[in-house]
Amino acid sequence: MQLLHVKKKSSFKYLLFLLINSALCYTALAQNKPAISDRFTISGYIKDSASGESLIGSTIYIKELKTGGVTNEYGYYIISVPPGKITVVYSFIGYKSKEITFNIKQNIKQTILLKDANLEAKEVIVTGERSDRNVKSTEMSRIEISGEKIKSLPVIFGEPDVLKAITLLPGIKSGGEGSTGFYVRGGGPDQNLVMMDEAVVYNPSHLLGFMSVFNTDAVKNVEIIKGGMPANYGGRLSSILNVSMRDGNNQKYVFSGGVGIIASRFSAEGPIKKNKSSFIVSARRTYIDALIQPFLPGEYKGNGYYFYDLNAKANYIFSDKDRLYFSFYIGRDIFNFTSPVNKDINFNIAWGNTAATIRWNHVFSDKLFSNTCIIYNRYDLTNKFTFGSGAAQAQFQASSGIQDWTLKSDYQYHFSNKHYFKFGGQYIFHTFKPGIASGTVGAVNFTDEIQNKYAHELNIYAMDEWQISHRLSINAGLRWVLFDNVGPYTQYQFDDNNIKTGASQSWGNNQSIAFYTGFEPRFAANYLVTDHSSIKASFTQTYQFLNLATTSGASFPSDLWIPSSETIKPQLAYQYALGYYHNFKDNEWESSVETYYKPMYNQIEFKPGTRLFFNQNLDAAVIQGKGLSYGIEFFLKKKFGNTTGWFGYTLSKTTRQFDELNNGEAFYYRYDRTHDLSLVVTQQFNKKWSGTIVFVYGTGNAATLPTGRFAYRIGYDQILNQAKFVFIDLYDQINSYRLPAYHRMDVSFTYMQKKTVKWESSWNFSVYNVYNRANPYFIYFVPDIQSQTIKAYMVYLFPILPSVAWNFRF
Amino acid sequence: MNKFLKNIFYLLPIIFLVSSCEKEISVSLSDAKQQFIVEASINQRFQSLNYVFISKSIDYFNPDLSMGGLKGASVFITEGKIIGADTLYTGTPFQMIDIGTFPGADSLFKGFSGIYFSTTLIGKENTPYQLKITLADGTKISGTTFIPKVVPIDSLSYVVKNEDVNKDGFNDAYPTLYFNDPPEQNNYRLARYNNVDSLMLGWGSADSYRTFDDQMINGTQRVIFYANQFKQGDTVNFYLNSIGRKEYIFWQSFGTAANNGGPFATPVQLKSNITGAIGSFTGYGCSYKRIIMK
Repeated sequence: MQLLHVKKKSSFKYLLFLLINSALCYTALAQNKPAISDRFTISGYIKDSASGESLIGSTIYIKELKTGGVTNEYGYYIISVPPGKITVVYSFIGYKSKEITFNIKQNIKQTILLKDANLEAKEVIVTGERSDRNVKSTEMSRIEISGEKIKSLPVIFGEPDVLKAITLLPGIKSGGEGSTGFYVRGGGPDQNLVMMDEAVVYNPSHLLGFMSVFNTDAVKNVEIIKGGMPANYGGRLSSILNVSMRDGNNQKYVFSGGVGIIASRFSAEGPIKKNKSSFIVSARRTYIDALIQPFLPGEYKGNGYYFYDLNAKANYIFSDKDRLYFSFYIGRDIFNFTSPVNKDINFNIAWGNTAATIRWNHVFSDKLFSNTCIIYNRYDLTNKFTFGSGAAQAQFQASSGIQDWTLKSDYQYHFSNKHYFKFGGQYIFHTFKPGIASGTVGAVNFTDEIQNKYAHELNIYAMDEWQISHRLSINAGLRWVLFDNVGPYTQYQFDDNNIKTGASQSWGNNQSIAFYTGFEPRFAANYLVTDHSSIKASFTQTYQFLNLATTSGASFPSDLWIPSSETIKPQLAYQYALGYYHNFKDNEWESSVETYYKPMYNQIEFKPGTRLFFNQNLDAAVIQGKGLSYGIEFFLKKKFGNTTGWFGYTLSKTTRQFDELNNGEAFYYRYDRTHDLSLVVTQQFNKKWSGTIVFVYGTGNAATLPTGRFAYRIGYDQILNQAKFVFIDLYDQINSYRLPAYHRMDVSFTYMQKKTVKWESSWNFSVYNVYNRANPYFIYFVPDIQSQTIKAYMVYLFPILPSVAWNFRF
Repeated sequence: MNKFLKNIFYLLPIIFLVSSCEKEISVSLSDAKQQFIVEASINQRFQSLNYVFISKSIDYFNPDLSMGGLKGASVFITEGKIIGADTLYTGTPFQMIDIGTFPGADSLFKGFSGIYFSTTLIGKENTPYQLKITLADGTKISGTTFIPKVVPIDSLSYVVKNEDVNKDGFNDAYPTLYFNDPPEQNNYRLARYNNVDSLMLGWGSADSYRTFDDQMINGTQRVIFYANQFKQGDTVNFYLNSIGRKEYIFWQSFGTAANNGGPFATPVQLKSNITGAIGSFTGYGCSYKRIIMK
């Protein structure tokens, strides 16, 4: 399927019309087909009995029919049932199952409250039906982790982290220490759509990647989709990371928090009106700046760095049919620096994300569920630089960022337990702010601005999940995407030497500069081999219209997001995946083997040495090429019992090919990782003590190292009476060198001092990098004049690091 | 600015992560193919800054830390004329002589090799030049440049503060340079040289360099501060050079390459303006002033 690049918008309206029409016809047709055995429905929310928090992914099982369903991402379920007496079992991991017998004569609304098994006085064996969703659903390449699970993993500095946790899963690789960037099946960190309560987070890291923006106290659930993307998701080539925040307890006031080595967290939640509405406010701040003060030499005092996060969420249940949510997030990293040698030099740099979401869940009928959102999100960076004093003072201010307004609506129509239909659409208005700078030097003022860029992004999708026979299920979907880069904008022409020629082209308000549209077909099928094993296959096509301009592997706050334009073509990827799934011992163990093949097109790189910041002609520095990733992933997971955990192993290869780089030959992607292995084991020793051990191993990152050098900028040092020059490095093949392998083991123990409904206090003791492995952060070289040799040094960040954190809840 | 930000951001984790460590490792790299290197300069003011340096690249871990200059090349620079849209190099070629062939050069200029020099060549403003090199093995290298109109340094000033931050026994002094950027597009390379003497043997003798254009300041007065402290009594020489755009692009890429390193280093390719070798032939429209910060 080729992407159309047309300048006229008329075709867009036509397509829209066509798509809506076909969706409606389909719905109408499907409704006409009466389901004889499943005449009525039972629907409602499944919630935690103590907090009223909805439980995502709970299972519903009808004993007589041996079928059921699961709650969606809002904790809502619908099942179809025949008239008469039936028994339904509701269950959720770690919760006591509930069995209810209904006498069905009409549609039933039933909200279910499940009890946390850990709060029971006596040892409870969780019974009931265990989820076999991973074998029976068409979903593949999708993993969910709860906020609670993330908290139990060993952590650095006592700070649990969502992004660190997901890189322990197969197919998801970490960029190494000092990076929360994650790499899914050979894709870059900008090819992951990171969402917090449906709002896009453009820069999910704090502290230059050492921590992520998600405060785990406020996280309910994390879902990552790395392939076989259902049609309701898109916008990025590689993955979707969906972080749902907690709704807040609607039964009573609860305060919780934690004190760690470098940061503290505090949350307050409770009912605004019992059973009707609740709120939660969570805050986190680091105190590295305060802690480090005593250790700073005198002239460095007063310098500092800190970050904070604030999450707030409220929801109101109007009725069984309507529920309204409001979520808000703000996070900032602030760095202040005054030169120790010259107090007249000062920097102040602040950056971070802001997001707000209003969400409305509405149940139209017993069969139609909807979710509608209005979202605002922004990422920005501002820096202030002052220099000199008095009349000669120079001031410089610069800022850059991106801002989106989004309207989104999703519908789920339930035909039967074996058949449902989803459709919806999304509209985003993007504002790209590449940079505005102003300053004063003495008496002179200047302002320079790189023009903002604007774009409309629209998508509409329809998707049908259908269990055709006992053995075969399919999920087929189609997503239609549109991107329109619009004015006001003036494009200046530059010559080969990057100087303005004086010629320019202007576009008026909302006038189309570059217009792209295309279809993204999605398909997934599941064939049940036995009741406990299945074979799944999927195909995903995705376009991406947003590109991260960065020249290095690390993520910098100054990195810019730029839109597809006349010169920058949209990124495109296809992904083919095939897998075998098998559950053992009554679904206690899950195992899977997945292979994938993923070609990527119009990948972005910048010409070597490009200046990204304040470059008026950045588009001209973009080069586009191809990427390819393929591999096989093994996953084994134990879900229940005193011992839980998982083992993941990936064997893969990822390359990139650009005509302008490496003489046009394909080269290894920087984060190509031949072997990637992770092992996570959690042991519940007794009611008080539990422990987790984590081991990770990965092939070293690919790096470009110099192969030659030469002397340049020659001169003469009259004092030393000798020649003076610098060595310049020569590079040959890109990423042809491998850094040493990365491996590490971490251990953590949690001591539950007290756990009751009223008061909970626990201690977390972690040891990071138990056997003190020196893992490479980077390599550098120094010529040693004395021994007449060039020496290589490897810098590594974290040696063995113990930490302790105290968490409480009351 | 980005480079600057990057340095700050690179420092940042290191400031607080007291735990970051390093160790020596051994790295084996494949051998690189050898390439010829040329650094050629011409200006209208200082004869000691008109020279051609020719060398050959070596393997990265080659223990040789010398300049590695090449002997035995024949090197000519020819002045040209612009007639309409054409540039003609019809003048008499100046032959540049290997400095090593001068008697006593070995002891006078320790460590110099592969430097070609002329006692008679001096550049002119608004004039094109052509460089032609034939190496001992017959390889031909050529390039052209242009000495742009000189943009004069308007004035220099300084302040002496009653403090001594680096505790060298002298009060700290800070110089400032002023010049007026003309209305047309201009590119600059500013060199600072701390010495009582203005004689620089090669641009590499200077203590700091700035390569910039007038994108944000076109047609206005430009003020250049120096943040690092000088001693009261220091003499500082400033060489404000106007250079061509191609030469500016080369020196920009050179600046990035020379400061490359650390975790975020990316391979930098020098954007040469000569053919047959890596490097640049740069014409400098040189304005010079000095200040004594009493």
